[in-house]
Amino acid sequence: MAILSSSGLTVTFGGKNAVESLDLKVEQGQLVGLIGPNGAGKTTTIDALTGFVPARGVVTFDGKEIESQSSTQRARGGLGRTWQSSELFDDLTILENLQVAAERVTVGGFIRDLFKPRNDDVSELMAILASLDLDHSAHLLPTELSHGQRKLVGVARSLAAKPKVLLMDEPAAGLDTEESQELGTRIRGLVDGGLSVLLIDHDMGLVLTICDYLYVLDFGQLIAEGTPAEIRADEKVIGAYLGQRHAEGENDG
Amino acid sequence: MTTSSSTRSWATPGRIAAIIAALLGVVLLVLIFTNVNQTQALFLGLGVGALIAAIALSVTLNYQGSGVVNFAAGAIAMYGGYVYYGLRVNGQLFLPPLPNPLAPIEGIVHLAGNKSFNLPNIPVFITLAHPGAGSSSFGTIIRQPAMPVWLALLISAGVLAILGLLFHLLIFRPLRNAPVLAKVVASVGLFIIMQAIVVLRFTSSAKAVTSILPTSPTHLPRGVTLPSDQLYLVGIVVLVTLGLWALFRYTRFGLATRAAAENEKGAIVLGYSPDFLAGVNWVASTVLAGMFGILAAAINQSLDPITITLLIVPALAASLLGRFNSFIVTMLAGLGIGMLSSWIQYLSGQSWFPKAGGQPIPGLTQALPFVIIIIVLVLRGKSLPTRGSVETVKLPFAPRARGAVPTSLIGGVAVAVILFVTSPDWRLAIVNSLVGVVICLSLVVLTGYVGQISLMQMALAGISGFTLSKIADAHHIPFPFGPILGAVAAVAVGLIAGVPALRVRGVNLAVVTFAAAVTIEQMVFANPAWSGLKGAIVAPPRLFGLKFGPNDSWSKLFGGGEGLLPNPWFGVFCLVVVILLILAVVNIRSSRVGRHMLAVRANERAAAAAGVSVSGTKILAFGVAAFIAGLGGALSGYRFGSVTADYFGAIPSMLFLAFAYLGGISSVSGAVVGGIIVSGGILTTFMSHVLGIPETYTLFLAGLGLITMAIFNPKGVAGALRDSGHAIKGRLGRGTTPKADAEAEAGVHAKVGA
Repeated sequence: MAILSSSGLTVTFGGKNAVESLDLKVEQGQLVGLIGPNGAGKTTTIDALTGFVPARGVVTFDGKEIESQSSTQRARGGLGRTWQSSELFDDLTILENLQVAAERVTVGGFIRDLFKPRNDDVSELMAILASLDLDHSAHLLPTELSHGQRKLVGVARSLAAKPKVLLMDEPAAGLDTEESQELGTRIRGLVDGGLSVLLIDHDMGLVLTICDYLYVLDFGQLIAEGTPAEIRADEKVIGAYLGQRHAEGENDG
Repeated sequence: MTTSSSTRSWATPGRIAAIIAALLGVVLLVLIFTNVNQTQALFLGLGVGALIAAIALSVTLNYQGSGVVNFAAGAIAMYGGYVYYGLRVNGQLFLPPLPNPLAPIEGIVHLAGNKSFNLPNIPVFITLAHPGAGSSSFGTIIRQPAMPVWLALLISAGVLAILGLLFHLLIFRPLRNAPVLAKVVASVGLFIIMQAIVVLRFTSSAKAVTSILPTSPTHLPRGVTLPSDQLYLVGIVVLVTLGLWALFRYTRFGLATRAAAENEKGAIVLGYSPDFLAGVNWVASTVLAGMFGILAAAINQSLDPITITLLIVPALAASLLGRFNSFIVTMLAGLGIGMLSSWIQYLSGQSWFPKAGGQPIPGLTQALPFVIIIIVLVLRGKSLPTRGSVETVKLPFAPRARGAVPTSLIGGVAVAVILFVTSPDWRLAIVNSLVGVVICLSLVVLTGYVGQISLMQMALAGISGFTLSKIADAHHIPFPFGPILGAVAAVAVGLIAGVPALRVRGVNLAVVTFAAAVTIEQMVFANPAWSGLKGAIVAPPRLFGLKFGPNDSWSKLFGGGEGLLPNPWFGVFCLVVVILLILAVVNIRSSRVGRHMLAVRANERAAAAAGVSVSGTKILAFGVAAFIAGLGGALSGYRFGSVTADYFGAIPSMLFLAFAYLGGISSVSGAVVGGIIVSGGILTTFMSHVLGIPETYTLFLAGLGLITMAIFNPKGVAGALRDSGHAIKGRLGRGTTPKADAEAEAGVHAKVGA
């Protein structure tokens, strides 16, 4: 049983299907890539799986059908995501950004905090930051970091919620080749540690190197799926990317 | 950013117009065939309906042109009425208070002892014509008007056009990329200034106005009689609407404005600068509202600073029905609301109408727009238009307060000492400021931390005050349970008004809460069963035999002082409440809930993806803010020994948002500054007692300060102080360098357009 799967997932914008009848699966502990040219419907797929756009079809996560759940409920259930433009909370420090994702509010806790705010234990969150070399920035504001660091904070924040599956929307976009490779190693490390990941990225080199399995979208339709080796050889994929196979290993962000 | 491309197809302006028209048609037909009096009542609402429609058209025009929902449109109409009145009756054009560069010289000479030294003042009026000879009849002197109607109208139109241009150039152009809150605050500032100027120049009592349009009765079918000027007014508003419709549909200018309302780049492609379009639309909307103000005042034959100004509420309902883009729906809605109000007014005069305190239940006509707004919001939900312009500045940074406990204890002791050694005037000022701090704190939680704009906090405070008076005191519920009961009632009402607000954000929320405040004010506070002329009495607080009401005699504990009221122990009581609330709000910021609130404020989607319940957080904020405001209302009730309708309600709510914003909406220190500057507080007492500035100018100055602050320093006074504090620290070589620090904070506000 896959930890996350969709069947017949369809998203319609103004009469047009941005994603059409998509079936995909992420197995436990697997790193699955979702690729395709611009406008193929990759981000829309993540939005639909996490409840940010209305969609038809069945989404199963952790053994339950979750179509009727709100984004918040899905996130609390362990379906994490990152954003293309990191979308950090600009008024909170890096550590506080992580705390938001890690901590739950209860009425009792709130009333207690009114009188004496708890000193929440942040050692786990500091460990997450340290694993991404961000521990020195814990008390800085997002706007004080570089673009690459902000993207990493976005990843750290989603990890802080201890997700079962993490949907990553172009985490390497805007990073240089070296940063991108480093990020790839880290994502692979997370998956090897037991996390299941669905990864969108434009960097074909990165995706083809680290993923276990790939789905290829074009104009909202699934045009191919398979292991990286199968996808490399797929005529339709090569067609959709117009010979971008030569760009393998380079950064085409 | 949420894209609202999934607009529900059935809720198009055309369909809504058809539904309104059909409903009105059915109602009309039924009435016309049943009762002449009711038909008459309906048609008598046409005049006010036309004015509502005109104000609503002005609001829509402004929104299309510049993305500003202008809360001052009603005030502009009222102002227009006074410009014409001054010209026609006295031949004088009145001027707003202008700074006099000679005043300081005069002041210095006065200080030097020469009190008779006088330099020329800036004129208050420019006289353009002199009133004709007076003739005496029945003991009153009736004077001929100074200026012919056409000339007065012409000059008024010119003055209004200049005002519109000034509003654009001085206020709203500098704010074009500012956050919604800054624009709302600026239009609130404009509202306050226009009203303050008129009160300064003409006092707040009503003026009799002669008619402009012919008033001979017109006989309509089935025995309905109507003054013909009402029909003329409707005719004019219909013509204006059709003109606007044609302008926006068929001309390049209109097309460019509509394009700009969707996306400012669209207008640039069409060869128009959005700035030029905004300017032209400001002039047009100001002239439109102002000229109708003149005509409507003539129909009412009376002019005062409040009545027309408050028509902004039904006008906003009409604009909302027209989705801020359809002139025809907006006009029909305006006329419809006017007619329904008049009909409800007629019905409330009937013997079967439900009574409260021997009089018909009040405020139903004022509740009508609120009901309409709620229905529209519930039906339409999130598909209300939001303008696609790039926001480059966000709400001010919400810092974690450090060392709040020692600071507030030291400050508290200092204030307590001052309470016992100063004169009664200053004690009262301190008490007023302390109550102000409480209301500002409630806005810090709701608006500062969560970004929800509320124009109803004083109305919620009033709910608590009236509950304390009418329920707690009446049932002998002792202190402190009475105020807590009041605050709980405020929470209940705040949540009822807050739940529909979950569906909207930004300026739409400001509209909802403003309409809610007007409704609460008219239905609850002005309800004779609740208040009456003197207001509702609040019994002084007692605890274990201690008497600390403002009018209780001085306790024997301290021998000193002059023994005059208010009792300083009441000030100490307020101080204790304020310090407890300050610490609680500081604790909210540095706890889990505070982080969740700021996450929601920064980015609702990302917050939801992080597992934060966005609506839960908002509801909690509404509830906490209402509770704090409720405690403020109870304190205020104790202070006066009573609660009155005009102290709470819509305009005071507006003022308090303004004061809180001026002080610094997103920090506790900002709330303290906000409390100091509230009317009747420490600053106004300082201005009147030390600087000799009359209290009548305080509202004018508050409005001016508000607009200035919205443009130049959205962080508020507290934020500016914090910045200069950092800078001084940096210069002294301690802490961080001022440059890095300023950059860090500037960076927080710079947001790359998504």
